[in-house]
Amino acid sequence: MILKVNNLHKKYQHADGVINALDQINFEVKEGAFVTITGSSGSGKTTLLLSLAGLIKATSGEIYFRDFRIDKANDKELSDFRKNHVGFVMQTFALIPYLTAIENVMLPLAVSRLPDSQKYEAAMDLLKLVGLENRKNHLPKELSAGQQQRVAIARALINKPSLILADEPTGNLDPVLSKEILDLLSDINKKQGITVLMVTHSPMAARYGTIQIQLQDGKINSIT
Amino acid sequence: MNIRKLVWVEFMYHKSQLISGLLAIMLGVAVIVGIRSISVVSEKAVAINLDNLGANILVLPQGSNVDNYYSADIDAPTFPEEYVERVATSSLAGVDNMSPKLTRRIIISGQKTVLTGILPKSELASKPIWQNSGLFGSSLKASCGPSPVNESLGYKDEKLQRKSIDSLAADDCMMGYSVAKRLNVKENGTIVIEGKTFKVAKVISETGTIDDDRIFAHLHTVQHLLGIKEQISAIEIMGCCNAISDGLLGKLRNILPNTKITTIGQIVATQIQTNKMMNKVSLIFLIIIIFVGGISIGNFMWANVNERRKEIGMLRMIGFSRAVIYKMLLAKAFILGVLGGIVGYIIGTAAGMWLGPEIAGLSVAPVPGLIGISLLISIGVSLIGALIPAYLAGRIEPFSNMQEG
Ligand SMILES: Nc1ncnc2c1ncn2[C@@H]1O[C@H](COP(=O)(O)OP(=O)(O)O)[C@@H](O)[C@H]1O
Ligand SMILES: [Mg+2]
Repeated sequence: MILKVNNLHKKYQHADGVINALDQINFEVKEGAFVTITGSSGSGKTTLLLSLAGLIKATSGEIYFRDFRIDKANDKELSDFRKNHVGFVMQTFALIPYLTAIENVMLPLAVSRLPDSQKYEAAMDLLKLVGLENRKNHLPKELSAGQQQRVAIARALINKPSLILADEPTGNLDPVLSKEILDLLSDINKKQGITVLMVTHSPMAARYGTIQIQLQDGKINSIT
Repeated sequence: MNIRKLVWVEFMYHKSQLISGLLAIMLGVAVIVGIRSISVVSEKAVAINLDNLGANILVLPQGSNVDNYYSADIDAPTFPEEYVERVATSSLAGVDNMSPKLTRRIIISGQKTVLTGILPKSELASKPIWQNSGLFGSSLKASCGPSPVNESLGYKDEKLQRKSIDSLAADDCMMGYSVAKRLNVKENGTIVIEGKTFKVAKVISETGTIDDDRIFAHLHTVQHLLGIKEQISAIEIMGCCNAISDGLLGKLRNILPNTKITTIGQIVATQIQTNKMMNKVSLIFLIIIIFVGGISIGNFMWANVNERRKEIGMLRMIGFSRAVIYKMLLAKAFILGVLGGIVGYIIGTAAGMWLGPEIAGLSVAPVPGLIGISLLISIGVSLIGALIPAYLAGRIEPFSNMQEG
């Protein structure tokens, strides 16, 4: 098992009462799975994904990444965990505006001790994988939305993660571009055996999942 | 791609915002460098000049001070040239040599310089008192040996000894080394001063004193040119030490009314006072830049951190630890400090070189030793100013909403 979630709860205090963003979540993910998480807006998809990355603290419950207890880890351990094991893909791409495509791809390696030439080669290989090797010196604003998301996917892969967490990666893309990105993620999952957890509200995207989790009001509605 | 490169690229990307953050620290460093580079030369020049004045008593007009003497202000007071005659005919014991001067600041082809009128030996020597004193051989020396001041300052360099001038024609001039270079004149060339054409009889070799910045011409010519008839601004007197302790100054005061007569010891004391004050001003500025500069750097860094909250959150998300974020912010402050120090040094040096002739009547050269101090101050202040913003940047949580971007 790459991920194991036991009895996860996340409560938010609001002016008009407590919101159970996550309520009694239990599931397991095998290495190499492609998990899609669907549910209506506000159902807790993002909260779940962020909890899995240790980016927000759950109110109660346990999260394991292999043997690593995410819910109990400190900031340094979580930084290392994300640096070494996780790749992130976001709806808004989250590229740094003043870095070129290849620099954005290399960014997670800025804190690693690899020689620069090795970082560059690795980034170049990934830009080839996403079909953007001839755009390597472009700034994000000089790229189309689909191209920016492909740069973000290349960045997510540079640290050779075992887990990719994607939050609505196609949310800002039209159907044609969406399919390209989903095929790319699927490819990465199949060929490199990287486990993917993808939040989406598109049924078309959800069909890419080997496991499909549906959330409703913070609870798991179904797992198929 | 490494942290250093990342910091640098970000720095260059936001460089248009730099001026505001750096202004205070740059100006502060500039003021300190400016003051220091002027006072360094003034300290040195005063020491060298007084030692090589060839005199140990100065007769100045009432109400003037040593600063007037050096700066040669246009309205600096004067007294009658006839006073030279009075001393010469007074048969006061212990007056071994004198040199009357009229000094004024002038501008030649846009360059500020100082014109000094002097009397050549041939004309002074005609006065009976000088005839057998043996003064006009080579360098001027007190007949009773070197004065204690000379001993203590220890400038024994032969080329610094002011040689007496045997003769100087009415339309001859002698140029100091620096001024000749600045005006690009050569020996035996000509130069127009205040509308009159002079022959450059001599370019004096470099002495490292204010003489390098001066032009010397015949006293009477200078008086005529400047319309200051039969007036002088100073008499430099070489007095015998024993005579000075026997009250020579008092006797001179009796025959020279409305003058201020001081010994070099007093002048040095005055100058030391001035330099002390300059150092105090530098210290005040240092304290000001530590506060104002530190706050403005801190403010700049804080604005920068706020603008980049999402970016920093994203970096934290992809595995940058708090320590790395601190390091990035402090590295940026370090770059700011280096920049502030260098630019401040350049501005301060330029200001010193520009204002030096104005304030101290001295040509100011860059003082390379001040680069280190400028950098130290600027980097130190930047790092201190950046501490709080860096700390707060490190506290930024990794993305708390991945959809925010
Ligand atoms: N930082 C927060 N503070 C308070 N409430 C939050 C916060 N983040 C999310 N919530 C609430 O938790 C619930 C789940 O949100 P989220 O996980 O973002 O939903 P989804 O991604 O499925 O649209 C929502 O009701 C939302 O309002
Ligand atoms: Mg969401």
